[in-house]
Amino acid sequence: MNGTIPAPTIEYALLAPMLVVFGAAIIGVLVEAFAPRYLRSAIHKPLTLLTLAGAFVITIWQARTGIPTTPSAMGAVAVDGPALFIWGTILVLAFVSVLLINDEGHFVASAAAVPGSAEEERALTEGATHTEVYPLVLFAVGGMLLFPAANDLLAMFVALEVMSLPLYLLCGLARRRRLLSQEAAVKYFLLGAFSSAFFLYGTALLYGYAGSVDLAKINTALGSVGGQDTLLYIGVAMLGVGLLFKIGAAPFQAWKPDVYQGSPTPITALMASGTLVAAFGALLRVFWVALGGLEWSWTPIMWGVAILTMVVGAILAITQTDIKRMLAYSSIAHGGFLLIGVVALGNNQQQNASALSALLFYLVAYGFTTVGAFAVVTTVRDAGGEAWHLSRWAGLGKRRPLVAVVFSLFLLAFAGIPLTSGFFGKYAVFQAAVAAGATPLVVVGVVSSAIAAFFYVRVIVLMFFSDPAADGPSVVIPGGTWAVGAVAVLATVVLGVFPQPVLDLAHTAAQSLFVR
Amino acid sequence: MTTHYLVLSALLFVIGGVGVLVRRNAIVVFMCVELMLNACNLAFVTFARQNGNLDGQVIAFFVMIVAAAEVVIGLAIIVTIFRTRRSASVDDVNLLKY
Amino acid sequence: MELYVPILVLAVLAAGFAAFSVSIAPFTGPKRWNRAKLDAYECGIEPTPQPVGGGRFPLKYMITAMLFIVFDIEIIFLYPWAVAFDSLGLFGLVEMVLFIVTVLVAYAYVWRRRGLDWD
Repeated sequence: MNGTIPAPTIEYALLAPMLVVFGAAIIGVLVEAFAPRYLRSAIHKPLTLLTLAGAFVITIWQARTGIPTTPSAMGAVAVDGPALFIWGTILVLAFVSVLLINDEGHFVASAAAVPGSAEEERALTEGATHTEVYPLVLFAVGGMLLFPAANDLLAMFVALEVMSLPLYLLCGLARRRRLLSQEAAVKYFLLGAFSSAFFLYGTALLYGYAGSVDLAKINTALGSVGGQDTLLYIGVAMLGVGLLFKIGAAPFQAWKPDVYQGSPTPITALMASGTLVAAFGALLRVFWVALGGLEWSWTPIMWGVAILTMVVGAILAITQTDIKRMLAYSSIAHGGFLLIGVVALGNNQQQNASALSALLFYLVAYGFTTVGAFAVVTTVRDAGGEAWHLSRWAGLGKRRPLVAVVFSLFLLAFAGIPLTSGFFGKYAVFQAAVAAGATPLVVVGVVSSAIAAFFYVRVIVLMFFSDPAADGPSVVIPGGTWAVGAVAVLATVVLGVFPQPVLDLAHTAAQSLFVR
Repeated sequence: MTTHYLVLSALLFVIGGVGVLVRRNAIVVFMCVELMLNACNLAFVTFARQNGNLDGQVIAFFVMIVAAAEVVIGLAIIVTIFRTRRSASVDDVNLLKY
Repeated sequence: MELYVPILVLAVLAAGFAAFSVSIAPFTGPKRWNRAKLDAYECGIEPTPQPVGGGRFPLKYMITAMLFIVFDIEIIFLYPWAVAFDSLGLFGLVEMVLFIVTVLVAYAYVWRRRGLDWD
């Protein structure tokens, strides 16, 4: 066998954003190993922010110097227009989430100490904190970058795990309500591992069908391999289960409210924005690059999933009394709206480009708004930590008008009210879907938007038109959270009033489509 | 003659999947997930033989590594929650609902 | 047949080394009496009664086991490289060194955070 293997080539420059993030994560681990405890936090904070900013600058530079038209790294990674756009989005959202993470008091003093034990007491008085959070976040972000850019199913599986494994741990690191946090970690882990086993078995079956895990080769095999349809269809279904789980589409949405509620809120912000963007990127790439030729088979299923996701998300959100669970169900519903855009893919080049650019814009708009909303959640606090119960938010508009106004803005953006970013996101996706002939789906989308708007407005009414409780929660806004709120408000308003530059950018990125 | 291996792999995957759904101990649930991953490995290696290329065998390596990393993280999480509650039953993990 | 001569030589060498070490030890090694050495199990730990219900292991066993699994399995990537390292050339070597360095970083973290200390 010797001498028959040509040495592979890797385009390091094209992969630079990922390499920078992973490199910094490894440096972060070294900091954890060798820096004295009192210095770690001071090193990690600037290192993490600089890394994400640096990776973003490199991404911009790459997008300006010319987008490659073939996959890189022996076909394992595709750095194409949509991938670069998604990278930029993830990096900015991660940067904003890290600003939130930087503020004190979100993470546990000692994860190994049993809650309520003397050991925990000691760790708290020593002022210990888990600075491992920063390398873990960087590893997760690195996985998020690779996930939507992976051009074969193996790279995609590895990316899925690199993204998920740190998040499982981060979920369990909340400082307050540690039982809930640990429970969220267990649930996320067991269900996540279960779903990734499905993804993997689907990969195995498609490998059996096509003889390769390369997305483009699977697409070629769709036309040429006969008599193996069972392998193909079961494989596609299992692959779909794995991907739809990460998005939180119904009927695989059960983990989302529990995990979003129990996790430390900055990590929830990172998951609700970055993970969702990455997972949608990967879903689009698989279903467009590898399974585009099978469109007639999977579109009806996707219709069903989209309808179910929107309806389940919107209706269950109404019954919630917990602000974080409500935002989680809202995130599920938004996943459904985005799936409408996935259904709209596939008729012709022009149609694909407009659906894809609509999706990209929606992801940016939703990402910023959701990070902002969770940032507001971190500021409203009781003695025992963040005040999650909706009744505690009553009268917030009278006590802290600014916070209430900002939160209302985010809720209106979720509802898709004009002059907010959410409106143009929904409008673009619905328009693309109508053009693709998916009008019934759009009708369901509009109806569930209306249902969703009901509970967003209900929260706004609660904040402004009920009387505050005497022992109401206090509002504490640390510096980083201020910045996050400001950025999110700015993004929500600017994208709602002047969406054109970002729409153009998304359109340019989508024009080249995913490379095959 | 690779069909038998595929049948075995499918059986293992189903046993693992059913185990995840019906077993109550988090450690056992987790072992069932690992069984599913190993079923995938068997399928990969079988298909590598059937397709006449080495990709499947290389993929099996990657899957093993990922499974090992997953084991470590999973056990860490499960042990933490066990120390808190003195129970590893997934039925007791019920604070977060509705 | 000639191909197998080196293997034969290696086997003879190995057997010879083992026989030599075992036979020389009683003459050169110190002889200190210890009751544990004469116990039913020769691993040196005194057998203790099994606790009711199977008992629990201290957590440190699990940490050691987990570290072993992770570091043990990472090495799997060395096998394909060892088979094909000459055709992969310098590129393969550099990539492998990078891979080992990342594993080493994890090792350094474990070591500095006292993951390897038994007590």
